[in-house]
Amino acid sequence: MKEGLKYFTDTHLTSIGLLLFFTFFVGIVFWVFRKGSKNYYNQSAQMPLEDDL
Amino acid sequence: MENRTAQIQNITYDDGIVKKFMLATIVWAGVAFTVGLLIALQLAYWKFNFNLEWLTFGRLRPLHTNAAIFAFAGNAIFAGIYHSTQRLCKTRLFSDALSNIHFWGWQLIIVAAAITLPLGLSQAKEYAELEWPIDIMITLVWVVFAVNFFGTLARRREKHLYVALWFYIATIITVALLHIVNSIEIPVAFMQSYPVWAGIQDALVQWWYGHNAVAFFLTTPFLGLMYYYVPKVVNRPVYSYRLSIIHFWALIFIYIWAGPHHLLYTSLPDWAQNLGMVFSIMLWAPSWGGMINGLLTLRGVWHLVRTEPIVKFFVGALTFYGMVTFEGPLLSIKSISSVGHYTDWIIGHVHSGTLGWNGFLIFGIFYYLVPKLWKTELYSKKLANQHFWIGLTGVLFYYISMVTAGITQGLMWRAIDPKGQLVYPDFIETVTRIIPLYWVRALGGSLYIVGYILFVYNIVKTIKSAPASQSDTVVEYAAPAKSEQITSPEQGHRKLEGMATVFSILAFIAVLVGSLIEIYPTLSLQKYLNPEQMTEPYTALQLAGRDIYTKEGCYLCHSQMIRQLPDDVLRYGPASTIEESMYDHPFQWGSKRTGPDLARVGKKYPNLWHFRHMLNPRDITPNSIMPNYYWLAENNTDFFILRKKVSVMKMLGVPYNDNMLANADRLAEDEAKIIAEDLEKQGAPKGLERKEIVALIAYLQSLGQKAKVAAPVAPQK
Repeated sequence: MKEGLKYFTDTHLTSIGLLLFFTFFVGIVFWVFRKGSKNYYNQSAQMPLEDDL
Repeated sequence: MENRTAQIQNITYDDGIVKKFMLATIVWAGVAFTVGLLIALQLAYWKFNFNLEWLTFGRLRPLHTNAAIFAFAGNAIFAGIYHSTQRLCKTRLFSDALSNIHFWGWQLIIVAAAITLPLGLSQAKEYAELEWPIDIMITLVWVVFAVNFFGTLARRREKHLYVALWFYIATIITVALLHIVNSIEIPVAFMQSYPVWAGIQDALVQWWYGHNAVAFFLTTPFLGLMYYYVPKVVNRPVYSYRLSIIHFWALIFIYIWAGPHHLLYTSLPDWAQNLGMVFSIMLWAPSWGGMINGLLTLRGVWHLVRTEPIVKFFVGALTFYGMVTFEGPLLSIKSISSVGHYTDWIIGHVHSGTLGWNGFLIFGIFYYLVPKLWKTELYSKKLANQHFWIGLTGVLFYYISMVTAGITQGLMWRAIDPKGQLVYPDFIETVTRIIPLYWVRALGGSLYIVGYILFVYNIVKTIKSAPASQSDTVVEYAAPAKSEQITSPEQGHRKLEGMATVFSILAFIAVLVGSLIEIYPTLSLQKYLNPEQMTEPYTALQLAGRDIYTKEGCYLCHSQMIRQLPDDVLRYGPASTIEESMYDHPFQWGSKRTGPDLARVGKKYPNLWHFRHMLNPRDITPNSIMPNYYWLAENNTDFFILRKKVSVMKMLGVPYNDNMLANADRLAEDEAKIIAEDLEKQGAPKGLERKEIVALIAYLQSLGQKAKVAAPVAPQK
C-alpha cells in the first residue's frame, strides 16, 4: 500500500506535476495570443462557412 | 489537386451514408425513449414489467442506457462527423465500403444488444454490459470507423484541421482506449465472461471508463458538432477560435482524471478519491469556456432565437450543457456527493445532460440537415417550435422531480436523532416518500416523447416533399494557387494542426498520462490488502448465485458498498473493506440505491425470508417496488459449467484448490441440498435444490460473511 501511495505523499513530485500542468496551460494561453496569429485564426474560424452545402 | 495554379475540380460528397446514420438515429431514439419510459413507470408502479422476466428493470435498464448512448447518440455522432468532415476536408469520405461496413456493423451491434440484454446476458458493468463477442465486434467496427476517418483526413484538400475535427480525433482515440481496457475479460461460455479486473481495480477501471464514456462519447464529439453546426446555422464564425483551442486541450487533459468521483467515501484509496474530486472541480473552467464560446457565437443574431427553431434547440442544448457541467463538479465535492450519491439526483443530472444537451443538439442539427440533404424545405417550422417547448417542459419536469427525489431521499437516509439513531430506519419509508415524484418523472419523459413524435412526423413529411431524384452534393473546388494558401508561415501549432498523425499522438498522450497515473497504482492490488482481513473465495454454489445476481441486474438497484459515513454504518454495518471485494470479477458496488445496500445482508435473515421475498417482495415489505422473481424458482442452475467458471476464476488469481477445480459441480449440488432442505423444513415446496433461487440465496447469505472485519456496530432497532 505504502508503495502505491508514495508518489502522492511525496510533495516534491506532486508540486512538480502541478507546475508542469500549469506551465502547459499557461503556455497554450500565451501561444494562442502570440503575435501575428490573429489573421490566421480568423481564417480558420471561417472554415465551416465557406460553402453552403 | 496538387497543382498550384487555380484549377476547378468536382468533389462529390457521400450524402447517402449521412442519411443512413440519420435515419438510424431517429429509429433508435424511439427505442431508447420508449424503454426509458417503461422502466420509469416500473419504478412508479412495480407491475409495469407485466410479470415478464425480460422486461424487469434490472434487464431493461442496460438496454435503455445502451440504446440512448450508443444507438441514439452514437448514430447521430457518426452522421454529423461524416457530414461535417467531408465538408471541412473538401473531400469525399475515404472509402464507401468502409462507410457501409461501419453503418451495418454498428446496427448489428445494437440489434445484438437489444436481444442479449433482455435475456440477461450481461457483464454487469454499467454502460459496458455487452458480452465479449459483441465487445469484439465493437472494437472491429470502431477500427473501421477510425481508418475511414483518418483516411479522409489524409486525403483532405484543406491544410488546416478545423477545431471540430480535433474533437473528433480525441473521441476516436480515447473511446478505443477506454473500451479495450475496460473490456479485458476471459470468456466462460459463448455469452459469458469474467473481467480480469477485480474489486477496487475493477471499480476504478469501470468508472474511468464510465465517466469518460460521458466525456468522450457524449461530450467531445458533441462539442465538435457544436463548433461546426452552430456557426454554420447562424452564419457567423465561432466567437473565439483561440478559446476553442484552450477549451480543447484543457478539456481532454482534465476529463480523463475525473472518474473516481463516482467512488467517493468507498473503500477506494483516499488519494484516488481526492484526485478525482479535484480534477472534477477543475472541469468547471474548460466546460464553461466551451459553453460561453458556443453561446457568444450568436452575438448579434440573438433575434434568431425567437424565430428559428434550430437556434432555439442550439441555445437550449448549450444552456443545458452549462447547467450540467456546473452540477457535475458540484456533485463531485465529497460532502455533496455524500448526499447525492446513490440517489435519483444523479439520474436527474445525467438526463439533463442526455435529453437537454445531447438530445437538443441532435434535434437542432437534424432540423438543419434533413432539408439540406434531401434538397427541400422543412415541412413545418411551427411543429419544430412546438417540439422544442414540449421537449423543454419534459426535461424540466424530469430534472426537477429527480433532483427533489434525490435530495429528499438523501436527507432521509442520513437523518439521525439526538440519541444517535436513524430517524428512518426502514428503507422503504424513504422509497414510498418519493413515489409521487417517480410519476412526475414519467410525465416528463412522456412529454419528451410527444416532442419526439412531432419531430418524426415533421421529418417524414419533409422527406416526402423532397424531389424524387436525389443526388449527392457536388461541390466545385478551385484549388488555390500556392501563394494564396494560408499566408502566414507554417510553424509551431499551425504545422502541428496540419499533421493529423502527430496531433493524434499528442492527444493520445494527453489522455494516457491521467489514465496511467490513476490506474497503475491499483493494478498491484496486493499492496492494498491487509493480510489479516483476507477474504475467502466464494463457494461454487455462491459463484453460481452471483452470476444470477449479475444476470438479473440486481446491482442496478442495490449497492454492495457501505461508505465510510455515519449513516451508512448505522444502517448497514461496518464500512466495506478493500478485501471484501478482492475476488469480485466484476465488482458489484453499484451506483444507485433504489433498494437497500446488500454488502452485509448475509445471515441477516433466514433462507425462507429470501425465498418468500424473491417470489413476492410485498409479502415481507408491504410497499416494496421490487418485481416478483418467480422464475428463479422455476429455472434450473447450470451446475455443469461451474468447473469451467472456477477454473477461469483460478486463472484470474482466486485461490481455489484442486478439489474445487475438479468437483465444483458436485460441491455445489451438496451445498444446494442443504439450503433446499432447510427451505423445505420451513414450509417451502419440495425439489428446489437445482433451482436458481437456491444458488442466489447461497450468494446473498455469503455477503459480508467472507472476510474478517472490524467489530460490528450495535444493530439498530
